[in-house]
Amino acid sequence: MFDQVRPEDLAYVGKDSGRIDATEKLTGEALYVSDMTVPGMLYAAVKRSPHARARIKRIDTSKALALPGVRAVVTGAELDYRLGLYVVDKYILAKGEVRHYGEAVAAVAAETYAQARRAADAIAVEYEPLPPVLHHMEALKPDAPRVHPDLGSYDHIAAVFTPKPGTNIANHTRLRKGDTEKGFAESEWVVEREYSCPSVQHVPMETHVAIAKWARGDQVEIWTSAQSPFTVRNLFCHAFKLPHNNVRVHIPYVGGGFGGKAGIGVEPLAAVLSRAAGGRAVKFQATREEEFSLLPCRSALTYRIKTGVGADGKIRAQEMTMYWDSGAYADYAVNVTRASGYSAAGPYEIPNASIDAYTIYTNKPFGTAYRGFGHVEFHWGLERHMELVAKAIGMDPLEFRRRNALRPGSITLTGERITDHTGDVVKCMDAAAKAIGYGSLTAEEKERERKTGRRIGKGVAALHKAPAMPSFTATAVIIKMNEDGSVTVNLALTDYGQGTYTSIRQIVAERLGFPLEKVKVSFECDTDKDPYDWQTVASKGLLLSGNAAILAAEDLLKNAYEVAAQVLRANVRDLAHDGKRIYLRHNPAESVDFARIAVGYAYPNGNGIGGPIIGVGRYVAQGLSNLDKATGQGNPALDWTYGAHGIVAEVDPETGEYEVLKIASVFDVGKAINPQIVRGQSIGGMVQGLGTAVCEGYIYDEKGILLNPSFTDNKIPTAKDIPAVIESAVVETPQIDGPYGARGVGEHSMISVAAALGNAIQEATGAEIVHMPLRFEDVWRALRDKTPIDNWITKSPLGSCRSAPELRNRKKDG
Amino acid sequence: MVHEFQYRAPRSLSELLALMAEHGTSAKVLAGGTDLLPNIRMGIAKPAFVVDCKRLPDADRLVFSPAEGLRMGHGVTISAVLRDRTIREKFPLLAEAAHELASHQVRNRATVAGNVVNASPCSDMALPLLCLDAVAVLTSTSGERTVSFREFFTGPKATVMKPGEFLAEIRVPASSADRKGRYAKLKRVKGHDLGIVGVMLASSPEGLRVAVSSAAPTPVLVSGIGRGLDAEAVDALVQKAIKPIDDVRCTAEYRRYMVGAYIRRLLPEVSR
Amino acid sequence: MTITLTVNGVSYTRDAPENKTLLHFLREDLGLTGTKEGCGMGECGACTVFLNGRTVNSCCVLAVEADGAAIETIEGEAGPAGLSEIQKAFDRNHAVQCGFCTPGMILSVKELLKAVPKPTVEEIKEAIEGNFCRCTGYEQIVEAVLDVTGQGPKGRLDHV
Ligand SMILES: Cc1cc2nc3c(=O)[nH]c(=O)nc-3n(C[C@H](O)[C@H](O)[C@H](O)COP(=O)(O)OP(=O)(O)OC[C@H]3O[C@@H](n4cnc5c(N)ncnc54)[C@H](O)[C@@H]3O)c2cc1C
Ligand code: FES
Ligand code: FES
Repeated sequence: MFDQVRPEDLAYVGKDSGRIDATEKLTGEALYVSDMTVPGMLYAAVKRSPHARARIKRIDTSKALALPGVRAVVTGAELDYRLGLYVVDKYILAKGEVRHYGEAVAAVAAETYAQARRAADAIAVEYEPLPPVLHHMEALKPDAPRVHPDLGSYDHIAAVFTPKPGTNIANHTRLRKGDTEKGFAESEWVVEREYSCPSVQHVPMETHVAIAKWARGDQVEIWTSAQSPFTVRNLFCHAFKLPHNNVRVHIPYVGGGFGGKAGIGVEPLAAVLSRAAGGRAVKFQATREEEFSLLPCRSALTYRIKTGVGADGKIRAQEMTMYWDSGAYADYAVNVTRASGYSAAGPYEIPNASIDAYTIYTNKPFGTAYRGFGHVEFHWGLERHMELVAKAIGMDPLEFRRRNALRPGSITLTGERITDHTGDVVKCMDAAAKAIGYGSLTAEEKERERKTGRRIGKGVAALHKAPAMPSFTATAVIIKMNEDGSVTVNLALTDYGQGTYTSIRQIVAERLGFPLEKVKVSFECDTDKDPYDWQTVASKGLLLSGNAAILAAEDLLKNAYEVAAQVLRANVRDLAHDGKRIYLRHNPAESVDFARIAVGYAYPNGNGIGGPIIGVGRYVAQGLSNLDKATGQGNPALDWTYGAHGIVAEVDPETGEYEVLKIASVFDVGKAINPQIVRGQSIGGMVQGLGTAVCEGYIYDEKGILLNPSFTDNKIPTAKDIPAVIESAVVETPQIDGPYGARGVGEHSMISVAAALGNAIQEATGAEIVHMPLRFEDVWRALRDKTPIDNWITKSPLGSCRSAPELRNRKKDG
Repeated sequence: MVHEFQYRAPRSLSELLALMAEHGTSAKVLAGGTDLLPNIRMGIAKPAFVVDCKRLPDADRLVFSPAEGLRMGHGVTISAVLRDRTIREKFPLLAEAAHELASHQVRNRATVAGNVVNASPCSDMALPLLCLDAVAVLTSTSGERTVSFREFFTGPKATVMKPGEFLAEIRVPASSADRKGRYAKLKRVKGHDLGIVGVMLASSPEGLRVAVSSAAPTPVLVSGIGRGLDAEAVDALVQKAIKPIDDVRCTAEYRRYMVGAYIRRLLPEVSR
Repeated sequence: MTITLTVNGVSYTRDAPENKTLLHFLREDLGLTGTKEGCGMGECGACTVFLNGRTVNSCCVLAVEADGAAIETIEGEAGPAGLSEIQKAFDRNHAVQCGFCTPGMILSVKELLKAVPKPTVEEIKEAIEGNFCRCTGYEQIVEAVLDVTGQGPKGRLDHV
């Protein structure tokens, strides 16, 4: 939906405009589900598993039921509903077996939270602990315990995913392009390395929370802190076999999501309690501790990459194997695996490639979408790998990247041809490199090194990502004209902080030619009132909903013009409008105000015509296809957003302590609809990326107990942790089918930050780090060639579960 | 919170001591509550009585006199330490440690007394108190005693305090005024974090002192280190006194190394 | 226990269970839900309020401890004339995304500006280190504080 319009002819698009939700949020008036109560509401608490894997022998709820205030107790045994979008593998409460530490086995609803908590604590569960399988590489062994022995019987989307019954593999995504054997044979160098990162938590400041009321006649109403109202409804209705029009989902303000609230969460639990309590509403809010282990996290990854490079520095072949740790349930992880699989080589052209990406069940809290949808994790490996390969062949890493970058005419892994308007990754890399003064130290930096004894290093890492979504992902926007000629925009894409609604408002005002003040985008989504949207994920929101908004605006104008044409007794072609009225182009004095036709026009004698003016815009992703299961060939990408980060890090070579002095990032966003919002996404993502790069991650003991489910030992960045200098920039290569040329950038800001940091630290000190995060101790160890600490699963308290330590750089003979 | 308790806010010391004598270990003093209330929430502490000591007269008294030295009432908050000019000028080590403790909001509430009674191995305030020869004034219905902080800590979250005893005041002798020193705290983030390891170097009449946190079951003080020893020698002495462990925050090996690294970093500044 | 306290200048007398935190008292008993709970453990600062003129994490204060106290919450920040200067600066600088940390953040900034009218960047970061924000990356918040104290231009997005 890109028309060549000169920027100076745009009234709102491309310009800064205040956030529409600012005032409510600044005054504390914005209502989040955690703030809400419903008359007669009960509070829920869950009983959770202390084991990573155990058979549930007996659950005794009698003591709980006898406690004051208790109105309902439910256990897994009485619930026969499984949840899932791609692989339907999860019960609402564990049934028969618990599969991860912290999994819910029973739940209580009571008059107060304290009563519910006490009752949940009073539930006695007898377990038979079973040996857990904790590391995903262990889980691949033939004799490893099976996390889901019944995998073969689970519903799944067979056109897209390939579970391997009888193993712990929930999905195998396979891709073959060209002939890798030939490519390796032509290569001058072959470098093979392995990279890994642990599971991490999204940490939305508002934990998961839902209120559900299961009223008589199976009418269910849900208020939830979630990203995707229609997905909550859809999965809910599938699980409970309810007609979709029985279930109504409301989403008011949401205190952050980052992918963790993309699918269905705690809603079914609150709903079954409500049903058991005779239809009283029930609220369940996860505590921060529960957020870490009851609710999903980001999957861990082990990524092996073998690259063959020709004498010219061009990659000839690449073999990529991804081992994704889905934890106990894989509904989202299979799609993370799929999306990462087809993007696995980053923004580079690889003529001969093979990819095998496995989603692996383990007995740990389960993985889900997290900002970047796998791309943060694998770009860590990939962009460290590009650096290490470049060093191994003696080429400057930036030059090596440039030489292999996707350009117009390049063919992607899935066979898509890159065009002039796909975006420009080289420009992004070069701009990021320039921003940090890549390649040398300034006199000032040298002086600083001399004074402090610390070493300064600069690193760049590039990235790409396309929305990971079904090929036919759709959305709709409705614009309703109000009595005074202003409009209200309804859509079910949620704005949980990204600012999309503010941008949509600018797009609508621009397309309508109305002043901004006349356009309201309504917060609080409601599946009964808003038009369908698939999910608020994948950085597809602005593109799909923005297009739908343009179409809706055009539809609204068309409808308004039709009425105005009658009123003005003119041909529609002869009409024009401004923010207030529709008039005759050849006689602007002849006009009718929007306000007079907004809800139907009345002639002087009282006769009415028209009726309320509404515009509808529907948009569906076009031209995408499922990937061939054997070769991975097809067209998965709605759009590609390219980008790059540059980092200047200062490292104490003695202790491994370091500081990020500067971070710069550049994304080809097509068009920055609202520059400050793009900047907010860009900085927010960078800092979140730094958190996972520097210190975040789940640490388990050898029994699979999560050791750091709190802010005490799972630190996230504070204001003091941000680099002194943060720069963000955009390239604007218009996306021809994007609204005003725009494409998404919500997730991209987080991708490759860790790799850029790893590259900068290596540049500063030579520390060759291949495992995330980069704690000071990790740097220190890398500098001393000590065995890396590997306490992501500790063997009381330290141990090692790294696979394939023998993999090292090697230069091919001759 | 789920756990139920009775709340008492005595207006006099004798009333407080009587309550504590009566309820023994089932009573817990509530100062800033920044340790106690999270612990109750997590089910780690389950007192039947919570005795708020902030309503006692003079709780936040903070005075210095050349005769009596620095006297800090039990209610003196970390923020009050940071705001106090005398402390900044005469006992900069207290201010330096206070500045490293938690976040602004926590410091506004957390007390020095609560920090030491809590007796975490990673206590920030323990280090300057050890370096400055501070003493704790412990009161109970059976009388008052004074315990040097060198004897105060007995294990992780354990002190010499007996049931019914109340830490009424912390005293820092005037003779410790103007002791120079520096503090380095290793954290996982630059923002507020418990110390992974903390090292304070301070001068004293009998030689150099090194206090270390998070590297043994209690905060550790090594004193009487001969002047003129180089960093390696100082480190060797300190290494003998600490007993770090592996945990989720880091390994014992790195803790040991960082203690040495901080000694090497701070020693030149302190000996200057 | 019956307690009397003033919140944003209004006096309330209520019965409060002894084990109820000030945070839950404000939210549940007085309906002042602008103060948020992010952890309940003193770590995140979402529950920041003024207690007798200083900011505290209200999840680590018992309601009964606030008997006789003066409390200020985010609901008292905007006056009849509209948003306060700090709020306006947050708005201008896009210092709000999901908004969940925002009430606490604003009060921490207010506490800082009471003591330091023209804070440095370091002072600003230190003042808000106890307020976690997972969305913004803090930079635009720091810029908002610089802006409201008349220091420095707005941050900008560069076009390459
Ligand atoms: C987010 C967060 C971050 C933190 N960061 C740090 C940090 O960086 N460094 C650090 O050292 N600590 C830290 N702490 C711990 C805590 O804030 C400090 O230990 C604080 O000084 C405790 O003081 P308080 O007044 O809040 O104690 P309280 O919680 O009121 O009491 C602590 C214990 O001491 C007892 N007690 C208190 N006063 C007396 C008395 N006068 N007589 C007898 N018993 C008494 C109480 O019964 C309780 O058992 C942190 C806490 C939080 C929540
Ligand atoms: S809720 Fe109080 S500090 Fe997090
Ligand atoms: S704006 Fe979402 S946590 Fe700060």
